[in-house]
Amino acid sequence: MGRQRLLLAVILALAFAAAVVIVVVPVRLGLDLQGGSQLTLQVKTTEAVPEITPEKLEAVQQVVENRINGLGVAEAIVQTVGEDQLLVQLPGVSDPGQAERVLGGTAQLDFRAQRSGTEEQLAIAFQAQQILLAEKERIQDSGDEEAIAQNQAALDQSNEAIAGFFDRTGLTGDMLQNAFAAPIGTNSWEVGLEFNQEGGEKFAELTRGVAGTGRTLGIFLDNELLSAPSVSAEYAETGITGGRASITGRFDAQAAGELAVQLRGGALPVPVEVSEIRTVGATLGRDSIQRSIYAGLGGLLLVLIFMVVYYRLPGLIADIALIIYSILTFAIFSLLNVTLTLPGIAGFILSIGMAVDANVLIFERTREELRAGKTLYRSVEAGFYRAFSSILDSNVTTLIACGALFWFGAGLVKGFALTLAIGVLVSMFTALTCSRTLLLVALGFPGLRKPRWFCPNLPPSTSSQAGATS
Amino acid sequence: MKLQVIRQRSLWWTISSVIILSGIVAMVISWNQFNSPLRPSLDFVGGTRLQLELDCTQPDTCNNPIDVGEVRQILAEQNLGSSSIQVLDQYAISVRTTVLDVDQRTQLLTALNEQIGTFDPQATQIDTVGPTIGRQLLSSGLLALIVSFVGITIYLSLRFQLDYAVFAIIALFHDVLITVGVFSILGLTIGTEVDSLFIVALLTIVGFSVNDTVVIYDRIRETIQQDPGRNIDDVVDDAVNQTLTRSINTSVTVLLTLSAIFLFGGETLKYFALALIIGFTMGAYSSIFIASTLLALWRSRFGQPISAISADPSSSDDG
Repeated sequence: MGRQRLLLAVILALAFAAAVVIVVVPVRLGLDLQGGSQLTLQVKTTEAVPEITPEKLEAVQQVVENRINGLGVAEAIVQTVGEDQLLVQLPGVSDPGQAERVLGGTAQLDFRAQRSGTEEQLAIAFQAQQILLAEKERIQDSGDEEAIAQNQAALDQSNEAIAGFFDRTGLTGDMLQNAFAAPIGTNSWEVGLEFNQEGGEKFAELTRGVAGTGRTLGIFLDNELLSAPSVSAEYAETGITGGRASITGRFDAQAAGELAVQLRGGALPVPVEVSEIRTVGATLGRDSIQRSIYAGLGGLLLVLIFMVVYYRLPGLIADIALIIYSILTFAIFSLLNVTLTLPGIAGFILSIGMAVDANVLIFERTREELRAGKTLYRSVEAGFYRAFSSILDSNVTTLIACGALFWFGAGLVKGFALTLAIGVLVSMFTALTCSRTLLLVALGFPGLRKPRWFCPNLPPSTSSQAGATS
Repeated sequence: MKLQVIRQRSLWWTISSVIILSGIVAMVISWNQFNSPLRPSLDFVGGTRLQLELDCTQPDTCNNPIDVGEVRQILAEQNLGSSSIQVLDQYAISVRTTVLDVDQRTQLLTALNEQIGTFDPQATQIDTVGPTIGRQLLSSGLLALIVSFVGITIYLSLRFQLDYAVFAIIALFHDVLITVGVFSILGLTIGTEVDSLFIVALLTIVGFSVNDTVVIYDRIRETIQQDPGRNIDDVVDDAVNQTLTRSINTSVTVLLTLSAIFLFGGETLKYFALALIIGFTMGAYSSIFIASTLLALWRSRFGQPISAISADPSSSDDG
């Protein structure tokens, strides 16, 4: 009995900890529940780029992130999916039109020269933009949509103003062959550039024009200034020749890497096509979540009542185990940062069905043993022992189906498979430990040791025998 | 109550065959009508779907229910005459068209907003699926289905024996076929469409229905081990009856929740729940009446000796 008490304490502590987790770490809701737009972008191959490698996909992702940033949507997410797709999630966006217009198409990277006489203006505009960016960082997660939109509008204006200080030179991204981050010295990094022949010549011309003048050359991605390095006076004669150059500055490893990926992405001549859009209005999402959750809870309540009415004392214990099960599973969702979608909720509700099934198997077995005349304690033990192989086999087969779904499915399907699989695993644990421990602890109280609370209509002889020997 | 599953097996087989056949007939008719055994949603064939609800808080928007004819006329003006239109309740519509790009969609929305009334952007649902994505969803779904079948066969042949696994898979096909058949009939009669959630439902049915079969097989295996000489028909009959209460109770508890979701849950999950209700019911039915009777027939005809490789539950750790 000492061991059971200890286990009971552990289970209760776990349940308590799980409850705390649920309160502290909120579960992330999918876009179908909180409302928003989800876009799938197909990265297309072209003759020049016949294959999309993971590095290229990452570069395109950077470009897309750049464009999303310009939309001013809080908590937007860009993920890579499979070999050549990107998934963009825009919470709270009910009209994806603007995003669609911005996201499609090929990245436009080009190198421009600063117009003479704009040095001071550029410095001022640049400073103003830094302030706006800092402001954006600060309000990004505040949820204050109006402030975010205002900030974004100001940023757009400032981008345009800055772009106005530069002249196009005809040196475009397709002439940039590579961009990479490289360390110089111990703490500092630079970004190396490699142009093709035509690009090298144009770059030499461009750098000759601005070298030593205090003006800069501007690197623009989708008409937005990425970097504005100046060129030192020693190149005033010839420009930077040979098609190679490096941008130095106060880069750390991360900043240099980011700029290099942005440049590579901008240089990739791959078009991006919006191939799927799913948009759910916020109130519609809230509506369907509420209705489904209420319906699910109603159904579960009926199940809990059914268990007590049919299985009596073990049924009550199973109900307690099921509640502990739900708390544990939800806590795991929070800890693993599972995004809860509507199919995900369905998966969770179904996994409760699996948890109930484990208990039903055990209690039916227990009843059989009781009817065969075994003592109460032995019957309970035998019920758990004999039901185990059924529970294991049936759960493994469900997990196989979940694995297939998770592996091949996308988006919503994955969410469903994940929640069902987590649920099945936790249900094995709770059925075999929680129900068992609780039941054995209950058997420790003489008042509860009545076979008829386990199985109605037992033949009287076995009943009294069981009662006497347990 | 004791079920005589073996004695009445030709009855069970006839019932199942009739249901499956009518499903197949429906699928053939569907194939002629929309080139697919089931009525596909835009998840699989691509297209744009707009679900719009009038914003009744605006003055004068909800005076009259939406008139389908009026909506059809607006669509025809935009060269979208072949689109399907459905009035959801009086003040909400669902329009399905070919794939629309941003400008076409914005134009359509503007026209609808001007002529029908102000729609509530917060209650809007817009889905656009390009044709390539649709094919991808379908093929990945089917692949998942096949892989899970193979995985389950391998696992069951390892834990039981190959003939158990084969009949469990036949029972699975039975359940999946009937569910697909019913949805094919629903597609023809009330226009129910299948989306990617339907494939999820099929896979869940696979997982759950094999569950029921395994529980009965587990009992058959246990009885055979205790009493190897016994007639297989009796063993199967007993095993089915010993596990019958469990089969009923488990199905009842799962169906309780699913029915609640079907009747009262959100629109998205309604047909998902219905597919599961049909599939799970069939799963319980097929494990009792199909998988076990087939196993008994096979064993009594070709009487495989029971080898010792079948796993012994005592070898597993039950904590």
